[in-house]
Amino acid sequence: MALMLPTILRNFFGGPATRMYPVQVREPFENARGHVTFNDDKCFLCGLCATKCPSEAISIDKEKRLLTFYPARCIVCEVCALACPGDAIDMVFKWRAPFYHKPVEVHESRGKRPRTPM
Amino acid sequence: MATRTTVPFGPQHPVLPEPVQLRITYEDEKVVEVVPVIGYGQRGIEKACELNEYNKNIYLCERVCGICSYQHSESVVLATEQLWPLDIPPRTKFLRTIWAEMARTHSHLLWLGLFADAFGYESMFLQFWRIREKVLDILEQTAGHRVIQSVNVVGGVRRDIDEAQKKTVIDTLNVVRRESDDLVNVLINDYTVKSRTVGVGVMTKAQAMALGCVGPTLRGSGVSEDARLTKYSAYGELNYEPIVETAGDCYARMKVRARELFQAIDLQMEALSKLPEGEIAIKVKGGPPANETVARTEAPRGELYYYAKGNGTRHLERMKIRTPTFANLPAVLILLPGCQLADVPVNIHSLDPCISCTER
Repeated sequence: MALMLPTILRNFFGGPATRMYPVQVREPFENARGHVTFNDDKCFLCGLCATKCPSEAISIDKEKRLLTFYPARCIVCEVCALACPGDAIDMVFKWRAPFYHKPVEVHESRGKRPRTPM
Repeated sequence: MATRTTVPFGPQHPVLPEPVQLRITYEDEKVVEVVPVIGYGQRGIEKACELNEYNKNIYLCERVCGICSYQHSESVVLATEQLWPLDIPPRTKFLRTIWAEMARTHSHLLWLGLFADAFGYESMFLQFWRIREKVLDILEQTAGHRVIQSVNVVGGVRRDIDEAQKKTVIDTLNVVRRESDDLVNVLINDYTVKSRTVGVGVMTKAQAMALGCVGPTLRGSGVSEDARLTKYSAYGELNYEPIVETAGDCYARMKVRARELFQAIDLQMEALSKLPEGEIAIKVKGGPPANETVARTEAPRGELYYYAKGNGTRHLERMKIRTPTFANLPAVLILLPGCQLADVPVNIHSLDPCISCTER
């Protein structure tokens, strides 16, 4: 008890260690990997993201020019964002809101493949 | 004559949040026999590693364990890099060491809390976990995520630690050291803690070596053995000596981890001060050549062993993972028989078991 006294006193006079979530939300760190967003105007369906994704969260349909993203499968590893040659995938450092049903995002890609080799 | 009763301790038990069953036979509150049963959490990760491309294995193997996930990713990239072998830049080696020791810091803080909880000191449990949050915050700031860092790639790392982050890390570690010092002082010197842990679950040096124990469990029995002595990553350039206690009881194992907590902070400080300039990754082309290798790293729970065999394609021929708890689990056969039933949680927690690791 005597040994614990400094910690007890510090906790008694110090503020609470927890915050009133969800009223008070901690700001995410700038370098944190939050979730993935797609820019349809830049994506030209090269398919690198789908090839490199370790959890098969992205599929590409080149005929219909569609990119399908399954957020519930995504492990937020940042591989797709680093692989994208068209800079069409961004990592946002805020966490995605929880969901009850597994969503599916379908993106219509409108980007054009650049002529110069990358 | 006292009757013998056999009770299943787990796989679901309030004290042990891990899917392992211990069939404990006791007689008058005294344990006479124990049979550990594993196999409740097998996920087939080793087989999945053969089906994946080699660079996707990192994200899979990180999920072998939730607490020492960094050491798993480090081990899998070390094993894969050794198949070429690749020449890794020195800055990368230091960055890997810093994150590995950061992971050890949060793992040991978690364990010290759980250990206090095992003998009923619940307020101590929360005090340690509060400090641990600070370590998780600096992991998130530098590596990008609290638990699954995903920062290693074959050929280097994906993130760097800049000067501003270095300052934040040093400031936070100083706070962690100061606050942990108070709590560890209580754990080591408190009369009640001593009465529950000193002389409980004694394992001699010979027994620990015969059972093939690793990590703090082995070092708590007086054996100076640590995979960091192999000088992988940047450990060869840091001032490192294994921490050894000789008593071999729960108290000694706790002391090893408590002292390693401060040693991990010191190692991070030293690595940050010696961090060399240079690139953080090299480009790797093609698949690993037909070769086989072994990577040994020191996870918070003990030695982690990865065997990898390449065949020239982007898929590995074989990946074998031996985790520290798999080596430490036979120690329950020594620790539990003869102890009181109330001491079973303390004994089991003193090994820091991670069953999801063990079963992969």
